[in-house]
Amino acid sequence: MNLSLTLPEAFVALLRKFDVLVIIALFLLLTLLISMDRTIEFMIFCIFVLAYDVLYGYMGRLSFGHMLYLGTGAYAFALTGELISSNPFLALLVAVASGALLGLILGPIIVRTTGACFALINLAFNQLGFFLALVAFSKWTGGEDGMSVYVDKVWIFDFSRKTTVFCFALLSLIVVIFLMRRLTNSLFGLLLRGIKENETRVQFLGYDTFAVKMVAFIISTSLSAFAGALFILNYSYVTTSFIDPLRSVEVIFASLIGGAGSVYGALAGGVSYKLISNYLPNYVQRWEMFLGVILLLLVFKFRAGVWGYITAWYQRLEATPAGKSGQPPEVGR
Amino acid sequence: MLLAVDHIDVFYGSARVLSEVSLQARQGEVVFIVGRNGAGKTTMLKTIAGFLHPGRGAITFAGQDITGLTPDKVARLGIRYVFQDKRVFTKLTVKENIELAAYAAGVKLSEALERMLQIYPKISRFLDSTAGGLSGGQRQLLLIGRAMVGSPRLLLIDEPTEGLAAGTIEEVLKVLELMRGEVTMVIVEQNLSVVSRLADRIYCMKEGHIPAALSEPADIQNQSYLETYL
Repeated sequence: MNLSLTLPEAFVALLRKFDVLVIIALFLLLTLLISMDRTIEFMIFCIFVLAYDVLYGYMGRLSFGHMLYLGTGAYAFALTGELISSNPFLALLVAVASGALLGLILGPIIVRTTGACFALINLAFNQLGFFLALVAFSKWTGGEDGMSVYVDKVWIFDFSRKTTVFCFALLSLIVVIFLMRRLTNSLFGLLLRGIKENETRVQFLGYDTFAVKMVAFIISTSLSAFAGALFILNYSYVTTSFIDPLRSVEVIFASLIGGAGSVYGALAGGVSYKLISNYLPNYVQRWEMFLGVILLLLVFKFRAGVWGYITAWYQRLEATPAGKSGQPPEVGR
Repeated sequence: MLLAVDHIDVFYGSARVLSEVSLQARQGEVVFIVGRNGAGKTTMLKTIAGFLHPGRGAITFAGQDITGLTPDKVARLGIRYVFQDKRVFTKLTVKENIELAAYAAGVKLSEALERMLQIYPKISRFLDSTAGGLSGGQRQLLLIGRAMVGSPRLLLIDEPTEGLAAGTIEEVLKVLELMRGEVTMVIVEQNLSVVSRLADRIYCMKEGHIPAALSEPADIQNQSYLETYL
């Protein structure tokens, strides 16, 4: 038996069939290897990467200002908790609705654009949002100091306990993965991929691509806002770092590292980026430089990202006779 | 009259590329537009398809004024456009390419596949392959077949035989002949043997004008006359 072939095959088959269980197991394992606190952060960040991937990976629109939507969710959650109700679920709902509303308002301006224009308009709005949170609305947001957030215990959900936050974040991630898979495997996903490749051709088939792009944009902003709210649920405070446009680079890095346009790629990218940014500073003083080198390598050499290369490697494996039959290749003929 | 283009002017910025151009196509007709590169043939198709809007004049389809409609609205009326560059959705599979057309046309995927296989049976081998791996001829036939999903009323085809090998051109021609009568076609073409074989009517274009329109069989077969426009 050729173990080098059958083990990866077995792993991929297992992943395909029980992927949700495998993902749960991996995150549980991560709590043992690092810490529960960090694992929660990783999972929420993965939700943000998945949200970003709807636009970048599937629709081919690179945004330099996605922290705006994450920050909107974060502040909406915090302000709801502060001013309206301490019910965390109501605050989460308001956060997602705020993300959707912002998408609905900005979408008609943003989704008409492509390329650099799309990226920079998002950045411009992000900068505007950052200024509003930092200065104009500092009376409510606490400006640079930020604000603390307290939420009530609702039924069994006591979010002051890390295990509750962990379970809720994990459940949220699984639900988002499920939704993303349904979305991307549907006709809507096909349309997004079509728009990524050639929007005009999709129009000529009879589709209103503006409507499709608007829906994708609102899904992305809502999910980003949800991730922002979860971050605040975890940290119990919000500062302007949650809406800082400079931090948009994190989600871009994660998408590139993992491989855009794939649910597994977003997860691999989210976890990889967080591992690098959390642990590399322990060993390398100017770790951002290392990240820059990684970006250069990704852009010039490994554009498919981690998951893209795993997929390509597996496809090659499947294409070989041994890969198909599970038998070792014949030698000496 | 299924399609009537009535004295349209089309501009690229301030440059007038089509001037006082008129064209008509009856139900089931195969209409060709011939002319040199830059004569305005593709601009004409793009204007009918809604990608460009005339500055003056009107376009009527099945009695409805479609001047100024967006491409998606034009497509929903049953007008399909097969582009010149044979560009399919390369990263989608052949089946997914057909699926996109099927949903837009409001037909089931199974029906769309059946239709596709009637037009181009050989495609069955490639349904699960990415369309980017198809040859130029296969892409062209996929595009024509995909455009026929959901029984369109008018097909606009831009240079269907350009860059294809002789054998593949014959295959494309057979498909077009198969569709004759079933759908009205307006085809831009520079290959005069193809034009003479299929045309019911020919519009000759020159520098944004249509100086000649031929519908008599003898005129259509007169390749030496047509060559003066190429």
